[in-house]
Parts: sequence; structure tokens; C-alpha cells
Amino acid sequence: MIAARVSAHAISRLSRRAWHALLAVLVALTPELAHGQVVSVAPERVAVTIYRAPNRRADEELDRNWLQGYALITERRTIAIPAGRATTRLEGVAAGILPESAIITGLPSGVREKNLDADLLSPRSLYARSFGRPVTIRRIIAGKTVEEPAIIRSGPDGAAVLQTREGFIAANCTPLEESLVYDSVPAGLPAQPTLSIETDAPTASTATINLSYLAWGFDWQANYVATMRPDGQSADLFAWVTLASSDTTSFADAETMVVAGRVAREDTAPDPDEREDDDTFSSSCIGQPPPPPSPPAYAAMGGFVSGARTEEMADIIVTAQRRVSQEELGDLKLYRVPDRTTVAAMAMKQVALLNRPAVPVSIVYIARLYGDDDVNTPTIALRAVNKKERGLGLPLPAGPVAVFQSRGAANILVGEGSITDKAVGEDVEVKVAEATQVTIDVDNADSGDHWEGYVLTVRNANPYPIRFEATVDLDEADSRLQRMSATLMRKDGKRIWAVDVPANGSRTLSYRLSW
Amino acid sequence: MRGRIMLAALVWPAAASAQTAPDPAPSAQGDVAVTIYNNDLALIQDKRVLTLPAGRSRQEFADVSAAIRPETVTLGAAGTTVVEQNFDYDLLTPAKLMDKAVGQTVTLVRTNPATGIETRDSARILANNGGTVVQIGDRIEILGQYGARVIFPSLPPNLRARPTLSITLDSAAGGPRPVTLNYLSRGFGWKADYVALFDEGAGKIDVQGWITLTNSSGTGFANANTLLVAGAVGGNDDDNQNRYNYSPPRPRGNQAGTETAGREKLGDFYVYPLAGRTTIANAQTKQVSFLDVGGVPASKGYFYRNPWLGKLDEAKSVDTVLHFSSSRDGGLGDALPAGTVRVYMRDVRGAPQFIGESAIPHTPMGSRLALKTGEAFDVKILPVVEKREQISTYVWRTTMRYKLTNARPQPVTVELAQAGLDWVWAGTRIVDESEKSRRDGADEVVWQVAVPGKGEATVTATFETRY
Repeated sequence: MIAARVSAHAISRLSRRAWHALLAVLVALTPELAHGQVVSVAPERVAVTIYRAPNRRADEELDRNWLQGYALITERRTIAIPAGRATTRLEGVAAGILPESAIITGLPSGVREKNLDADLLSPRSLYARSFGRPVTIRRIIAGKTVEEPAIIRSGPDGAAVLQTREGFIAANCTPLEESLVYDSVPAGLPAQPTLSIETDAPTASTATINLSYLAWGFDWQANYVATMRPDGQSADLFAWVTLASSDTTSFADAETMVVAGRVAREDTAPDPDEREDDDTFSSSCIGQPPPPPSPPAYAAMGGFVSGARTEEMADIIVTAQRRVSQEELGDLKLYRVPDRTTVAAMAMKQVALLNRPAVPVSIVYIARLYGDDDVNTPTIALRAVNKKERGLGLPLPAGPVAVFQSRGAANILVGEGSITDKAVGEDVEVKVAEATQVTIDVDNADSGDHWEGYVLTVRNANPYPIRFEATVDLDEADSRLQRMSATLMRKDGKRIWAVDVPANGSRTLSYRLSW
Repeated sequence: MRGRIMLAALVWPAAASAQTAPDPAPSAQGDVAVTIYNNDLALIQDKRVLTLPAGRSRQEFADVSAAIRPETVTLGAAGTTVVEQNFDYDLLTPAKLMDKAVGQTVTLVRTNPATGIETRDSARILANNGGTVVQIGDRIEILGQYGARVIFPSLPPNLRARPTLSITLDSAAGGPRPVTLNYLSRGFGWKADYVALFDEGAGKIDVQGWITLTNSSGTGFANANTLLVAGAVGGNDDDNQNRYNYSPPRPRGNQAGTETAGREKLGDFYVYPLAGRTTIANAQTKQVSFLDVGGVPASKGYFYRNPWLGKLDEAKSVDTVLHFSSSRDGGLGDALPAGTVRVYMRDVRGAPQFIGESAIPHTPMGSRLALKTGEAFDVKILPVVEKREQISTYVWRTTMRYKLTNARPQPVTVELAQAGLDWVWAGTRIVDESEKSRRDGADEVVWQVAVPGKGEATVTATFETRY
């Protein structure tokens, strides 16, 4: 404080040229103050590969308040490595970084150690690091500000005990009446989790390093839009890659990729709303204890209330319809966004995945038959075959499917479902809606010794014929189906009654269940 | 004049940042050695030089770990015996501070809210039971919560800002000498993190091993000699706890080795000393390299284990499994402390991409490892219970059909295990199967199913069971 005041006073008397000289000295001295520290503020090039939330089902919505997927972030930075032992701080990494996953290559002298400092600048760490140092208590008394010097005499766990000229007090820090004012920030308290590396080089050099790490707080999915053609036999299929970040760091001009397929993970994304719920006393002068240091993700997000966060994330960017390109990555599928793009903090982005006109599809009403008179409402399902000759023939990553039908000039949503990851050659079935005009019921028509007779009736109130399929879901070790009035087909070990129901007509299946 | 103001504004921050340099409270720690175990435990040796008077004296050791286990403290100093030791880390709340001030005289500062004029009174605290009763002069008052500021003349003697151990010593002679403090602390732990770059074409992996240590003890240790022990000391007497701990089944192909690695050992444990001294800051995660081997043979396989009577409505991706060894010959050639293996592969442009991770236990040298990294997008299985019939009262026949599909252009081999054969009753046998299986223990049979590129394969088997 005093030194600063003297220098400011002295400066005011100097000539302009001397000012510049002094400034140059000050600027030159600044790195010296950091003492063996090199700071790399941001990467030159960055690539972001986003992985889907490991346990999110295909039909589960992408939760933008808690993105449980993750990203692999690969950065290139050029840093100056001084001779001898030095610390390089890598700033601008994702807040959700998993420090144990960080890999650094390209350092000529090797990395002695990597550190992630999660002891961040907070009211608590500011108090703890100021132990034994002078602070100012500022009070507002009868509309006037009164300041009193004091010395911190307690640690951060418990009451804020300060020594004043008169004695010891436990400060209250009531928002309007009393607060602590610090002179400066203690050294070594970063604002964000900061990765640092310790190097030990024989000579000073400049190195281009590659840093890669995993970070929680990202997610992606495919979004399919199927627009039925008037013939009802085909649909125009369009799909988006929807990717989202809930991280506070933006990655500008990034090479962006997403990976489809299930990737094994040993841990799960930390819940941003989880607060440490212990009953230890915490003074309002000091603030809440920080969340446990491991896992460190989301620490920087603590301040958001969920409403505000949603507003922040309302920034949805739809890029022009240039499609992602697909590559093989071992047993996974990698999709590369065609141009460099910005994966912005708290934002969502969509890029076209595929566009296939006139994909042959069929609409089938499906139901499950449990043997007794318990049946469910038929479901409308959209079926396609993922083969080239059937208009598809490309890997289809998991995601929701919206089905539209044209009504005059507008497209109306007629169904919504989802698909899991579908490889080439697989059958694709999307359950899109519950039927309202196709109904089934089962009558227990007659019974006898160890058997019950049933009649299943399916009725179609539509002015067009429909395809109906009932899958028998029965433990055939307990009971057997007999005397069926129609032949059942077998598919994947299950027996299916498949029938075409005429327009405004009905069809029946009678059978016996015996045991 | 304008230039002066501008420059003053520029220079001020620089001068202010110069103030951040001094370290607020130098640590009382001496020469520190920290030995960290895997299970939330560390042994801390702290050698300090103290000047002891002859006879009894009370010595304070500040800056011990906040997560110290005080019952484990031992102190070594020449010609000195320990009389008693106390660990004081009594956290004061304003209420406790008041409790400890009962009987004392404090100063009450009361402010007139209208005028801001402060009045000071001397008050004796009579009691603090659900409210504070004070005596001011010859009058008794109840202290309102916001009515007055209380100024205490002194602090309770056992208030500690930092965790402090106080030990009463009896020294034969006075003078400076080194005193070694040994204790165990919670809040430390470490695990290994492996980075494996898999080159599928060459059938090789490059593996780097990192030790990741964390300090959540609440106390930092500067310039510590650090040693990591790969193991958890302290037996768990409760056998049931281990027995019922669920761990997901691992893929087939894991087998523990019998080779000894050329590393420093301490009894049954491998120890990993960190080169040089290092600072273990509080709330810090630190990584140090310990393993770097390249060109180790590795292969990829596919695996699926079907539970007994397991059937699916929709085909499911089989597991992708990475196989390699920790042997001296054809392997990593080292013992692997427990941790997580993260597997990367290069994409078309040569950039490494993450393809999955798997936890490993402490793995001796010479082990065979099979790690599930994920599930194959293009290789799927659909198990179906084809038929289930009762042959006699206790004998059942179950026909299973497993349809495997492969959308990849190249053929693959899937290791298919049917588990649960020893479920409830023994005596399960296969009466018919479409290709030869291998019985692997009482519980499962295994097929090596070749699935052609862009094709499918089907395995059927009929099991005879006692249920």
C-alpha cells in the first residue's frame, strides 16, 4: 500500500519520456515477479471430440442443465520453456477437465509433473490465506461508512475472529452493515481450475506442445426428421447432429467431431446441482466450503441458478447444411464437422448428418399379446431397413426421430420416437405414437380342462387398409398356444401374428392357451 | 495533466500486483517426508529443529495435517520423553466464543441507529444458555442479537487458526535438537492412470503410466520427499464387506501373473519414490510419470456374455476388448498399480481419439489383461430363447439361438459365453449345439464364433438343466 502510494506520487513529477522508460521497466519486471512461471493463455489450435452421455438412453432427452457426456479436447500451444525448473500454467482449459486424463507431448525435456490446482480464489481461500494479515472491517453506521483496521486471527473453519485495536471480535458480515476488505489477492489462487506443468530443461527453448484431456459437461445426439410422402410408402429422412456444451470455456475455431457408439467409462459426470450438505458452521465472512476437490468438474459453474443457465444456453446455432463426414474409429464411428467452428460455452449447435429423399418405409400397427386377455393399445411403428438398396445403408447413431406429414403447405408432427445405434444391414423400427383408430380386444370365448379359449379382434376405423402385427410374449415353458386360426410367423425367436386389416374392417385370431 | 492521470491508472495495477508476492503465513513444517497409500492414508514424517529447555515444556507443532489421526503420533527427540500430547483444532463459532467467555468482562459497543454515535460499556457475561445474560454495572440485561458488538479482551487459549498439535515434553538437557514427528493422516490418496495408444493395424500399443495423487487433507506440504506405496495397508477385519462388494464381471482373458518387476519393494508392496522434492498443495491433483513403453503387442477382440435365459428384443452391440500382457517378454514388463487405463486410437488424420477406459486392480508383472473399452457399433448379437420344454419333473431342455451380425467389411471372431449354467442346480449339459463349445468352469460355456465381413452367423445350443 505505502510503496504503491509513494511510486504514484513520484510518478506524477516525472516527464513523459521518463514515464515510458519507467513503464518499460515495470513491464519487463512483471514476469520476474511471477518467479519461474510461464503462462500460456490460450491454445493456437484446438480440436473438440464430443462423446454421448454414457448412460443416456436413445429416447432420453439431452438435459442441457446437466450434460452428462464428455469431450476429448486436443490443443496445440507454443510455449517458451526457460532453463532449469519452471512452472508453466496452461490457462483456458475446460472447466470440467479431468486432470488425470491430461496428456502433454512435445516437451523436449519431458514433464516433471502435472498439477491441477483446485484451490481457487474464493471468499474462503481469500480468508484462509490472509491469516495473520491486516484487513479492513467496513461498517455502515447511520448511513456513514466507518472503516477499522483489523488482523485475521482465525482459520477458515468457524467464526471469523479478528483482532482490532480494542480487542477480539467475531465478525458478522451482515450484508448491509459489515464486510471485510482485503488489500490484495494472495499468490497462487487461480480463478479457474488451472493445469500446470513443472519442467526441468537444460537450456531455454520454445516448444510446440500438444495437450489433450477429457472434460465432462458436453453431449451430443442425432436428431432424425422423417417427412412422410403422400404415398405413405416412403419418407424423406433428414438428420442433424446436435451437440451441446455446458462448459464455461469456449473453443473458437475448433476442429469439431462427435463419436457414436458406446464407450466404456469408469466414472460419471458430476451433478452441477449437488452441493455439499454438511452442517459445519460457516461464517458469512468466509463463505461456503468448496465442493470436494475430486472430481473438480463443474466447480466453475457453481454460481449459476438453473433459470439463468437455461437462458444462457438459449443460444442455439444452426449451421448451413454442409454435412458431417463419417470415419471409422476402431469399433466406433467418428463424425467430423466439415469446417472449423466454435464450440461456444453454454451453447448448442446443429450440423446436418444425412439427407436421404424417398426412403422406403412401412407403417405397421404393433401390439404384444401376453396370452390372457391382457393386451395393450396398438402402437404405430415406422419401419425401414438400413440397406443401400432400401435407401439407407449407413450407420445411424442413436437419437430421437420426429415424423411429419404434410397438411397443405405445412408439415404437421404426427409421431415421435427414437432409435438406438443402428449398424448397416439392421432393421430399424421407430415406435412413433399410440394408435387411436386401430383397436384390439381379446375375448375369453370358452374354456375347458387345462385350457382357455380366446379370440383376438383387431379393428381398423381408417378408410385405408393397415398392416397389423401382434407379438406373442409368453413363457412357453408354462403354457402353450394351440388351435390357432391362422399361421403365426417366427422372427427372432418370437411368434408373430401378422395380418392386413382392410379399410374400415376387422380381423380375428382364435387360439387356445393350455397348460 | 491528462497523461499523468492515465499513467497513474496504468501504474497502479502493476504496483498492486507486486503486493501479491509475499507469502502470508510461512509454514511451521520442517523437513517433510510423505508416504502415500492407495486407501485414503498417508504417513507423514516432519523433522523440525526445536530449542528445548531442560525439564518440562509445552511445545506446539502447528501446520500438521488437518486430517491427522492424533492417536498415531509418535515423537522422536534425543534425551526427551513425552509427558502428554493434545491435538487442538477446536473450531470456534460465535456461540462457542461466547460460551468460553462466560465469567469474563467484555466491551459492548452499542450504536445509536439514528445518530451513529457509539457508546462503550464494560459488561460481564453471566451465562450463555439460549441467549446471553450480561451484567452492565449493577443491571442485568439480555444481549440482543444485533443490539451490540461484543469485543473480547482475549481469545480462549485453545483457539487455533491452524491445526496444531501440542506436546508436553520432559527434556534431560536444554538446547536445540532435531525433533521428528511421525503421524498418519487421512485425506491423501493416489492411483495410476495409463494412457494406451492402440495401433490396430500393427497390433501394438504404446503405454504411458502416470501416478495421480490427490491431497484433500486441508493442509499443504512444501518440498516434501514423496513416496507412494502401491497397496492399501490396514486389514479390513470385516470380511463380509469385501465379499459383498459388487464389482461388474470383467471380460474373459484376465489372468494374474507371477513375475517380479525390477522395482523397489517394501514387503508385499511396490514403492514408487518421486524424483526430487515436490510440493503437495492442498486441493491439488498431481501427476508424475512412472512408465513409458512402446510397441507392446496387443490385439482387439469381441466378447459377449449372455446370462442364463437371457433374451433381447433388439440386437445389442458386443463388447470390444483390448488384450495385452504385462510380462517381461512381449508385454509391458512392469507391475501395474491399480488405476484406470484410457485407450486412444488415431483417427484418419492421425490425431489420437479416445475410445474407452477400464479400471484395473493391482496387476503383477506377467499378467494377461483383457479390458473392455466399449461396445462395437457394427458387431451385434441377438440372443433368443428358441424353445423351452419340460422333459420330466426335474429335467428341462432349453434351446438358445444367438444371431451375430457384422456390418464391418472384415471378418471378426466373437467370444460368446453362455453363463449361469451352475445356477440353482448343477448338472447342466449341452445335448446339441451347432458348433463345438468349450466348457469353461462350472458356470459357462464359450464359443469362438467367426462372423464373416458384412454378414452374419448363428449359433444354436440345447441345454439340459435340472430346472
